[in-house]
Amino acid sequence: MPAASGVLYTRFMFDPPITTRNRARVCVIGGGGTGAALAYDLSLRGFSVTLLEKGELTSGTTGRHHGQLHSGARYAVGDRAIASECMEETLILRRIAPEAIEYNGGVFVAVDDDDADYAPVFVSACLEAGIPAREVPVSEARSWEPVINPAARRTVWVPDGAFDAFRMPMSFFAAARRLGAGIRSFTEAVAVDVVAGRAAAVIARPVSTGRDERIECDYVVSATGAWAGSVGRMAGFDAPITPAPGTMVAVRGRLSDMVLSRLSPPGDGDIIVPQRGLSIIGTTQRVVDDPDCVLPDDDDVEFLLKRADELAPGFSSRGVHAVWAAARPLAGRSSGDGRSLSRDFMVLDHAAPGAVPGSAGMATLIGGKATVLRAMAEKAADHVCEALGVGEPCRTREFVLPSWRDYYAEETR
Amino acid sequence: MSGDRIPLTLRVRNGAAVAEFRIDAEPRRTVLDMLERLRSGGGTVPAYRHSCHHGSCGTCGARINGVEALMCLTSASDLGSPRARVPGGPAVEPERGEDGSVIVELEPLAKMTVISGIAVYPGTAFAGIPAGAGYLAVSEPGGRAPLPPDPTEPRPAGRVRFEACIECGSCVSSCPVAVPFIGPAALAAVNREREKRPERAPAMLALAAASDGVEPCGRHLACSRVCPQAVYPGKHIQLLRNALAEEPSASG
Repeated sequence: MPAASGVLYTRFMFDPPITTRNRARVCVIGGGGTGAALAYDLSLRGFSVTLLEKGELTSGTTGRHHGQLHSGARYAVGDRAIASECMEETLILRRIAPEAIEYNGGVFVAVDDDDADYAPVFVSACLEAGIPAREVPVSEARSWEPVINPAARRTVWVPDGAFDAFRMPMSFFAAARRLGAGIRSFTEAVAVDVVAGRAAAVIARPVSTGRDERIECDYVVSATGAWAGSVGRMAGFDAPITPAPGTMVAVRGRLSDMVLSRLSPPGDGDIIVPQRGLSIIGTTQRVVDDPDCVLPDDDDVEFLLKRADELAPGFSSRGVHAVWAAARPLAGRSSGDGRSLSRDFMVLDHAAPGAVPGSAGMATLIGGKATVLRAMAEKAADHVCEALGVGEPCRTREFVLPSWRDYYAEETR
Repeated sequence: MSGDRIPLTLRVRNGAAVAEFRIDAEPRRTVLDMLERLRSGGGTVPAYRHSCHHGSCGTCGARINGVEALMCLTSASDLGSPRARVPGGPAVEPERGEDGSVIVELEPLAKMTVISGIAVYPGTAFAGIPAGAGYLAVSEPGGRAPLPPDPTEPRPAGRVRFEACIECGSCVSSCPVAVPFIGPAALAAVNREREKRPERAPAMLALAAASDGVEPCGRHLACSRVCPQAVYPGKHIQLLRNALAEEPSASG
């Protein structure tokens, strides 16, 4: 048995004690990572949950993520609070979804003088955010991952990891369904029916029948990420969301086990994430109006490969396996590249002061990032509890999730 | 995007009907990119599954001109070049329509229940995978130093990586066996679990020895030929057979 066996074979039963069911029915629109975690959180708190997703689960932004499980180091200088939250969430996810995470740590690499000057600021910001970053000699970092540029000026170890951007959220879906949530993929929410100034039902259209169904509910949450604008408009709500696609390139060959990042302020092409037999360089960022069909920008590919070579020489000589793009759901509005917008998330109540009258009973979750999906769900579920006067606390930190395989194995239709 | 566009006619299965789209695609555009573009352009495109767009999630498997493949890794350039028409068959020039466009037939994976269009419930591929089969494997250090001590990780820090199998169901769809059979994806998982966890080896061999275990496999090797991840399920089935032969008690 290899020494790592303790990491590999921990086994769990997903068997949380059932909370007393309350009578409230919540309809979650959006089957990405946030919707998955929210359906699970609400189910644990005893709500009756129906989740609607127009396509396959995780087919929007979620599944296309490069898979970096952020320690928060990337954000430490710019936003201490987000960095701390990432660290907290990464520890929770490593505990509750161990089979969906390749946890091997990460190295931030200072390539040039500017990067090297940035290192002390970076390390102290990480420590202040509770991220145990530590500078190590370049020779030591290269002993772990010889692919790191030998000309690197400085190297910093951080507790970054990689996760499976599909299997992590699918584990939440498996948990939600085990608790009785109705997960309806290929079923589009086409309208919100407002009765007496309050969202009373969502009209759902399954692609298989094309016949509209009325999903009666006491509360609606839009967890539609980059699509929050169009879903909000269905209910007369103007969600401040900026879809910001980025291109990623996967090359063949697992160049490292550790996640390699550029030791510099967040920018384009600053991260290499291993994934099975591939290595992914990400990302770029631009801003679009329509998050549907974000195809990769071809100019980005050459740029990304060049940036990757600076971190790991030889990256670009590997064969390109795939090029794709995903739309980040940035909270706020931006006309530039969107880098000025925070990666924070917020729950917007449609009935908040200044909002459209007659739109109670619905909220939109905007912003955020994959690593904090559980925290986003907790905040949204807290909001639902408050709106409906339910006193159940969040318990999603407590249980190891079932396997994503359960979701499909149990899908017997 | 360099290179001349490639004229394609996509014929996408939708129940008894076929939706047809004539497009000129840049060589590097994938079948999935094409469907996404058609859908966002307002076209009524039959339903399809997709998630990661880079061959990692395993959702976008389909039969493309009769052979299982991931739509996200099949490019216009691939389709315009000679390809096998059956798993492992000789590469032949693509079939073209009267207008000279390459005909691309997209069918749902076989042996699965169709939701709509070419989207399926992939449960058949998952059903036989043993409960609790680990998805993490040791990542070979290959001469690299051990990972450094980690103040955030109480578990032993070894290098880990996911299993190569992305559970796409291509092997299951391609397998010609028609009698009860847990199938190539499940047997590959059974063998990996046997290799990784010696304490579970007897239980894994019992699964392999069952009447729906390795026995129905006719060594067609279609599974290994269509696997987009080079898992070679046929190899794992043979390794299970070898292990059963060495332990006669397990095959009783």
